[in-house]
Amino acid sequence: MCIRRRSALSIDRGVAIRLALAGNANVGKSTLFNMLTGGSQHIGNWPGKTVEKAEGYVKLGPNIIYVVDLPGSYSLSAYSEEELIVREYLLTEEPDVIVNVVDATALERNLYLTLQLLELEKPMVLVINLMDEARRKGIEIDIDLLSKLLGIPVIPCIATRGIGLIDILNVSLKVAREGSRPKPPIYGLEVEEAIASLLAEMKDLPIPEVYPRRWIAVRLLEDDPKVEEMIAMFGGSKVLGLADLLRGKLEESHGEPSSVVIASERYSLIGRISSQVQTVRIPMKQSITDRIDDITVRTSTGIPLLTLTLSLLLSSMFFVGGFLSSTIEYILNPIYSIGGGLIETFPPWIISIISGMVYGLVAGLTVVIPYILPFYVTLFLLEDSGYLPRVSLLLDRYMHRMGLHGRALLPLILGFTCNVPACIGCRIVESERGRIITSLLSLLIPCSARSIVVLGLIGRYIGVYTALAIYIFEIILVFLVGFVMDRILPGERLALIMEVPSLRIPSLNVILRKTWLRLREYLFIVIPTLTLGSGTVAFMDAVGVSEALATALDRFMNAAFGLPGFVSIPLIFGFLRKELALIMLAQAAGVDDLRLVLTYRQMIVFTLLTVIYIPCLATFIALAREQGLKRALAFSSTTIMLAFIVGSASNAILSLIIP
Amino acid sequence: MTDLLSLDMLSDGEEVEVVKLAGGRGLVTRLAEMGITPGTRVKIIRRIGSKGPVEIYVRGSTLALGWGVARRIMVKRVK
Repeated sequence: MCIRRRSALSIDRGVAIRLALAGNANVGKSTLFNMLTGGSQHIGNWPGKTVEKAEGYVKLGPNIIYVVDLPGSYSLSAYSEEELIVREYLLTEEPDVIVNVVDATALERNLYLTLQLLELEKPMVLVINLMDEARRKGIEIDIDLLSKLLGIPVIPCIATRGIGLIDILNVSLKVAREGSRPKPPIYGLEVEEAIASLLAEMKDLPIPEVYPRRWIAVRLLEDDPKVEEMIAMFGGSKVLGLADLLRGKLEESHGEPSSVVIASERYSLIGRISSQVQTVRIPMKQSITDRIDDITVRTSTGIPLLTLTLSLLLSSMFFVGGFLSSTIEYILNPIYSIGGGLIETFPPWIISIISGMVYGLVAGLTVVIPYILPFYVTLFLLEDSGYLPRVSLLLDRYMHRMGLHGRALLPLILGFTCNVPACIGCRIVESERGRIITSLLSLLIPCSARSIVVLGLIGRYIGVYTALAIYIFEIILVFLVGFVMDRILPGERLALIMEVPSLRIPSLNVILRKTWLRLREYLFIVIPTLTLGSGTVAFMDAVGVSEALATALDRFMNAAFGLPGFVSIPLIFGFLRKELALIMLAQAAGVDDLRLVLTYRQMIVFTLLTVIYIPCLATFIALAREQGLKRALAFSSTTIMLAFIVGSASNAILSLIIP
Repeated sequence: MTDLLSLDMLSDGEEVEVVKLAGGRGLVTRLAEMGITPGTRVKIIRRIGSKGPVEIYVRGSTLALGWGVARRIMVKRVK
């Protein structure tokens, strides 16, 4: 762990306090965040991580409050990326107030994180969200008593309807200004004695003040390697020895690892609190949601329902995407011809750069945006309704073979429309390892642009069945690569331990807000990058780089894949937009009927190369944004290698069958 | 001593009490932190296929456990 100074944002002029939202997944934390910060937010990734970071501002009277939405987590034990981020942020960035959001319908599980947060001894407020749902389920919570028992302010809230927001801000401001620190929870005698002796042993260690000593003692008893490392760094080898001894004693008297002993203690504390503050009446009408629940996860009904949902999703994406795409093109067309006339007199290399940039811009507007918009709406719909976790359960058995959980199927299916949303969709996958596998696989899914190449070349000249065979081959390839990745990637497959949130009717307002904010990021970041990237490629073409590259590749193409040299230029342009490979192929060959210059075998090999060899520029940019440039490059090199293997192998095998 | 069963051996609707967690330290801790501690009452909501995940009701909310995880949770039936 390193100690950083307060982030630059705190010196932003006018920011009164910095507020951090913490809580379990599925408690409506991001909804609350959206309602608080509105359009002022920025969504990016945590540095060096694939976990989303959302931050924004909210104005309360004369005060500006900075809000950061920490990733959903169930504890602070740093078992997952998310938990580690939350813990590091809260300890080293020192927000002025922690706002812990909990689900009123699952108070017990949620209070576990609350107790761990209290141990950090930072100013803190508890927000009980989903009060309406709790009431429907017959759960009543004594807010005042809970506040008294925990020693921090407790605010009831219904985030989707904006109820309780002003209270949250006012109380947070007050708590942050007073800087009142909560009292950490008290455990049973045995654990407390162990904590006391550790604290005594730690007395003279130069531990920075940001780390509460009692928290360190508890973490040492729980055998936290990161905290042990830190204590070793501060010369606390005697402390570590003592902790080892105390853990041994705890484990001996309970017959369980010390971490389980302490978790059990926390839960028994929580049990005492919740039995005092919570009354549950058995609700009358639970059967309907139970029935729906059953339908979604039973194989006999769940698979047909999922198939139906996915086909609706895909067809609506194709339909809405296609409609938006042609509308945008229709609007852009007259602008083209006017623009073309204006630059007519410019030197040719400038014209090619400009037209290259326009190509990129148009690709962004007509390919990326139309598919991303319906994609986000449906993704959030599935996420907020609670259907996604059920898909995960339903498919868990099958996806296991690729080291993935069921929900990884969704981005992969979406990849059939466009790989860009598939890349973004990988963030719904639970583990870092799973995200790596899924993103690589999503690059190999035949998107609609690739389908154009397959249908336009193979379907047109050889036949629909051959085109279909190529499709099936691509899908088999995805499974094969997944299977191999799972075996060669380091790290363990994450055991499935997942909370299943209740099914609920999502709020359209919230979904549209979330969609717009994500879309905005794309408009302002991806599209400009794509425009510049396309301009650069066009410039390289204009100064003869691609010509030289093609000449250099000529012999290679022939030797490795048995292809004529002129296919290099189409393959280079395929990087801009996959369907360009087909368009440019006819142009480079200088004929209308490609059968005159290519054999069937060459067509198949060329198609396989085009669909596999590299993600298109837009996908690459999305990938770099989601996974980092290094990984995007690594994935692209992997696909190039794969294309080489598949291309040369298919050439060799096909030469035996067809000349 | 009562018969110990693993969580994947039960049928829908059964109510059991956790007796022991039988995995590595990391898994066992994660289970405990999600509320599956020895002595906890658990109700089986449903099993999704053989060797599929098991959905359970524990401490007021629903959890899904992969088959490999469920196998490591030793329980006894309660009347």
